Amino acid sequence: MRAMTPKRLLVSVAGILLPLLCWWYATDVARLVSPFILPAPSAVLDGLTRISGGYMGSSLTGHFVASLSVMLTGYLLALLVGVPLGVAMAWFPAVDRLFGPLLMVLRPIPPPAWIPLAILWFGIGLSGKVFIVFVAAVVPVLVNAYVGCREVPPNLIAAGRTLGARNRTILLEIVLPSAAPVILTGARISLGIAWATIVAAELVVADRGFGFLIMNGYRNFEANIMAGGMLLIGAVGVLMNIGFILVERVLLRWNHREPQDE
Amino acid sequence: MSKQNATFRSGASWVLPALVFWLALWWGIIGLLGIGPDLMPSPPDVLNAMIRLVTHPVGEGPLGVHVLTSLWRFLGGFALAVVIGIPLGFLMGQFRLFDWALNPIFEFLRYVPPIAWAPFAILWFGASFGAQAFVIFISTLPPILISAYTAMRSVEPKLIAAAHTLGARPLTIILEVGLPSSVPVLIGGLRIGVATGWMALIAAEIVAGTGTRAGLGYLILIGQQTLQASVTVGAMVVIGLLGWAFDSGLRLVERAAMPWR
Repeated sequence: MRAMTPKRLLVSVAGILLPLLCWWYATDVARLVSPFILPAPSAVLDGLTRISGGYMGSSLTGHFVASLSVMLTGYLLALLVGVPLGVAMAWFPAVDRLFGPLLMVLRPIPPPAWIPLAILWFGIGLSGKVFIVFVAAVVPVLVNAYVGCREVPPNLIAAGRTLGARNRTILLEIVLPSAAPVILTGARISLGIAWATIVAAELVVADRGFGFLIMNGYRNFEANIMAGGMLLIGAVGVLMNIGFILVERVLLRWNHREPQDE
Repeated sequence: MSKQNATFRSGASWVLPALVFWLALWWGIIGLLGIGPDLMPSPPDVLNAMIRLVTHPVGEGPLGVHVLTSLWRFLGGFALAVVIGIPLGFLMGQFRLFDWALNPIFEFLRYVPPIAWAPFAILWFGASFGAQAFVIFISTLPPILISAYTAMRSVEPKLIAAAHTLGARPLTIILEVGLPSSVPVLIGGLRIGVATGWMALIAAEIVAGTGTRAGLGYLILIGQQTLQASVTVGAMVVIGLLGWAFDSGLRLVERAAMPWR
């Protein structure tokens, strides 16, 4: 990362402030737009305080925990299934031949398209949403585990074999560590996808959660609650990404040192 | 992004037997457990539902109407994203001021999932065309803009310097140096855009609900609400096939545009 020059900082701040000022002027000052169409900044702040004081039977933490717990359950399931299956497909040709075509067929179906089917199968409770998050999150995890294992430098495997390592040792001590960065990238991509998917699922069916905030605001003509929900979703997205990058740095410390040693 | 495009190594000769296996498994499980067609249809149920959809109208019309409605919404949002994203990306790549001013906004916006815009989009632009087009625009703009931006930034500096020496102005450089040499990256961005946009379209149609009475997302939803899972699964098959067709088409374009790869 290059350092911010004062000039760049100025331009960037202006780039953020100018639209905000226009928004504030159009709504709070000149009242050009109806508050039902575009809420004023002050109204959005009001909405956020209302949400934080408890909205529709759940506190802010209640909504947050509702969204997060569904997302994490589906996401962990995706990791538990996706990583082993991806590795197995890369390691055993038979598994690849069986599951490869299935994935080829299922992958073009967008995850949100599963929402109605999930409602049919699991009802409107927790498990339906977990299923949708799982469907969305498992693909990048699996593909990255597969590609990561397939792209291990053949030299490393050959060296292991020359030194008398058995298949198990090669898989556990050469292939998996060398694929780890790619696998973690897949895990990060799919965390973002999982978050977007839970929002989509909650927009369709939920009685709490951040997506529910948006949808309930929409149904009750409370545009400020809608905007508040969007801001909260964005903020959590930012925090999750930062958190994951930190985790990646800790887990792959050996990998990060490499470029500096060269 | 090449990782997302990775194809599995199963050779063509293995695809058919494997798919037959999975279809048989699907059919067998339904038969063995006695799952009713309201929960999960069998493969022939789905085929029948799809054939019936082609001729019998559901909502606004038969399958063709729903496909065209969805394609039209998709095209509206996607074309807008191309028309705005590519010039803006080029400008941001060429002029630092644009980059500095617009980058922070995009940085924040990309953390709000596009589908979260759907309710506002319905308020602003109506539930039947504008909302879906807007959500597709919001979701496809970032990949298209970023690809145009990277394409411009990765133009061989010597080419730009040469054009400068020959007296070309910045706009001429964008149009006559940047654009031609960035086609490969741009097409890559369009491919990602098509995939994300197609996903966003279905999500937006489902969020908009059954009020619009048209679109593939409507078909999925109405199948669930009337307990006709065969309609839902049939529509999912159509959605998957169309998404696959788009990607294959763009891949052909990619190959035609850069035969040297």
